[in-house]
Amino acid sequence: MADILLIEPDRLLADTYLQALAMAGHSVGVCVGAQAAIMVADQTKPDLVVLELQLTSHSGIEFLYEFRSYPEWQKIPVVVQSHVPVTEFADSWDLLNKELGVVAYLYKPQTSLDKLVKTVNQQLAVKA
Amino acid sequence: MARNEGGSPILSQQLLLGVAEELKLPLLQIARQAEQGRLTGQTDLRLIQETADGALRLLDNYALGVRLALDPEHLALESVSVSSVLYNTGQQLDALAKNYGVELELNIAGRFGPVLAHRQGLEAALVSLGAALIEGLPAQDSPQLKLQLATHRSRYGIVAGLYADTKQLSSQALQSGRRLQRRSRQPLVNLSHTSGAGVFVADTILKAMDLHLVASRHHRLYGLGTVLQPNNQLHLV
Repeated sequence: MADILLIEPDRLLADTYLQALAMAGHSVGVCVGAQAAIMVADQTKPDLVVLELQLTSHSGIEFLYEFRSYPEWQKIPVVVQSHVPVTEFADSWDLLNKELGVVAYLYKPQTSLDKLVKTVNQQLAVKA
Repeated sequence: MARNEGGSPILSQQLLLGVAEELKLPLLQIARQAEQGRLTGQTDLRLIQETADGALRLLDNYALGVRLALDPEHLALESVSVSSVLYNTGQQLDALAKNYGVELELNIAGRFGPVLAHRQGLEAALVSLGAALIEGLPAQDSPQLKLQLATHRSRYGIVAGLYADTKQLSSQALQSGRRLQRRSRQPLVNLSHTSGAGVFVADTILKAMDLHLVASRHHRLYGLGTVLQPNNQLHLV
């Protein structure tokens, strides 16, 4: 079992992802925005973050910069699961992967719950 | 592409793209809810039905906006009660609001005479706007998830709109969103995590009826709505 921080702005999708991850045995904290996510991360010390990049007010990229600025959070894997296709980051994948620690990128419309859970478990296994 | 009298694009490919992007959300919700149901043996059919209804409503409202803009000659104006339009809008948004945990309030206190408007268009614009705000509010980290459908008099006419306790509902946000609509996949960045297509569909429908989507204040709340002119002649009759 791991502590997952799920940053998902849509309430209905967040409920569905939460249930799927909880069924896989994980403890899940849900935040709709970047600011709240930083506070929740401080309280819950997550083992892994699942992040949507399109958030209200502050983007997922802004969250990543803030998140990685704290030494204790630099090695926590981040799985991006977003409405934004990964092809839009073709030129900046190195930035996302190497500098901001995005270990996997899932395009939301093509990601089943099963695939999300498998990806999360794989990344947790790599971390361990 | 249709154009209004001033020659500026009313219906743009950007709006169509925004609607397409927006429709991904309910379709994704339905797909994941169905998958969840398959995994657990418990499918929330009511939620799936209401989610599909919301998607169909967005499509219907977009299509209405296109029809009104393409064929303004057939814009049938009638004497319309604003209170009744707001009541019907609330009815249409009720299920969506409940699913998103947003409390919907109807504030139609006061006597307002009829206005001359296209009833279906006015309702469609307010429903589109309301749906976008309902989906956007919970994503704002706002402790107050309340949306008020309200009408009041201003020096410009009778204002009908949707109001919430968030300063993000401002003319700046609206103007910036209109500018960014062409370039950004999230033009209303402080209001919505999506394309905000519902707001732009409302904008399009109102423009087609020679009305405007504007920012407005009501009591201590911030909102978006439209200004309608009282139909005094009919009022006398």
